[in-house]
Amino acid sequence: MFFVSDEFLTVVNALNTGFVKTLQLFFVTLIGALPLGLVISFGSMSRFTPLRLLCRAMVWIIRGTPLILQIIIIYYVPGLMKIFTWGGGETGRFTAVSVAFIINYAFYFSEIYRGGIQGVPVGQQEAGEVLGMTGWQIFFHIKLLQMIKRIVPPMSNEVITLVKDTSLARVIALQEIIWMGESFMKGNQGYAGLIWPLFFTAVYYLFFSGIVTLLLGMLERKLEYFR
Amino acid sequence: MSVLEVKNIEKDFGSLKVLRDISFDMEKGEDLAIIGSSGSGKTTLLRCLNFLETPDRGSIAVNGECLFDAADPSSVRESDIRRKRLHFGLVFQSFNLFPQYTALENVTLARKLLCREDPGFKQHKKEIFEQIDEEGMELLRRMGLSERAGHYPHQLSGGQQQRVAIARALELHPDIVCFDEPTSALDPELTGEVLKVIRSLAEQKTTMIIVTHEMAFARDVADRVIFMDEGLIVEQGPAREVIEAPREERTRQFLSRYGGKG
Repeated sequence: MFFVSDEFLTVVNALNTGFVKTLQLFFVTLIGALPLGLVISFGSMSRFTPLRLLCRAMVWIIRGTPLILQIIIIYYVPGLMKIFTWGGGETGRFTAVSVAFIINYAFYFSEIYRGGIQGVPVGQQEAGEVLGMTGWQIFFHIKLLQMIKRIVPPMSNEVITLVKDTSLARVIALQEIIWMGESFMKGNQGYAGLIWPLFFTAVYYLFFSGIVTLLLGMLERKLEYFR
Repeated sequence: MSVLEVKNIEKDFGSLKVLRDISFDMEKGEDLAIIGSSGSGKTTLLRCLNFLETPDRGSIAVNGECLFDAADPSSVRESDIRRKRLHFGLVFQSFNLFPQYTALENVTLARKLLCREDPGFKQHKKEIFEQIDEEGMELLRRMGLSERAGHYPHQLSGGQQQRVAIARALELHPDIVCFDEPTSALDPELTGEVLKVIRSLAEQKTTMIIVTHEMAFARDVADRVIFMDEGLIVEQGPAREVIEAPREERTRQFLSRYGGKG
């Protein structure tokens, strides 16, 4: 049986290790980019014009250039300009790539937040105000949930994209799952010239994006109780 | 003593003078209707009273206490305004209920947030909230909505939503309740139930300012009517007099367009 052969077990073991790295990058990016995106969205709605223009310009730059280029720049440029290095090895690569992903996704998220916040009718704010609520109370008790409801569908798209984008980390040789799959073509643990491991990584992606889709779908349905 | 004294309020939006030298006062329990064509400044006047707009000139006093004086910058501090607002309630043309809360929660939310500032809130939270819920239910009952307390706004008709909004405005016991065209967003068959509620509030001597296009309603329910045009008070007086026998030519012209309804 192929599924209990040494070849299969060795490969799956390596792919599992790579997939853990993929998951780490996925969650670190979400944990960093979700709050940072909110801060940036406030910046890009600021009444202070220089701040607003700066945020909008950054959104344009980050969204207008490939993530793969941003990873390369963030990983290599500090070292090339002798400012600092990310440290060698896997830890350094993971730190650098996390920073690149967090920045990239924070700017994407900020635009989704901005749409969500500006989409809440101004009458909601005013109704809260005439009832003597503070700005924070209006935000937390009235606008936040309405905003979340608005942003869940576009956010789901971005999060599914992030599942797959993590593979771009391979460009600086982070040992995530694609890198692992490829390694059996080049030669790893006595195996070389294997093509199936690379294809097999798709199973992991489909499995994970399936779970993420289900969870976000549940959240979307949970918020269907109001309109 | 007047419950409300508005003196020389003016408001500009850029070069457009939206309110010009608006002065009037109200006695406790009095009901005032404000009529006039669209763009005459009626809504802006209500928004000024509720501090959603800041007048450029003039002053507003409630129960003899000056709430706003354009000449005195210390009267427009953000933190004070929040408290001062509570003298007024506002019912919006478009209801503006909070969609994620039930009818009862819409009515009680502001009270529950406000009572957190009271001393002794922590020890008595449960009793305080129970009492607020009870009062909220009582208000909904007066609006004829006991059966709808647990419904979300989207499950209610427009007329029901507007009645919840009225209960929400009354919950904080404002001195003066303002209505901004409360039936203009409703289908004609639903305006009756909302007007009936406002009429019953008038009978209970609730002090109200009602911006409305329902001339017959203004004539029958309001004690006094103000007719506004181009940001000015053109005419004011007892409701029946102004609507049935206006003195000013502009009032006559305006009312003739509503002839069928009056």
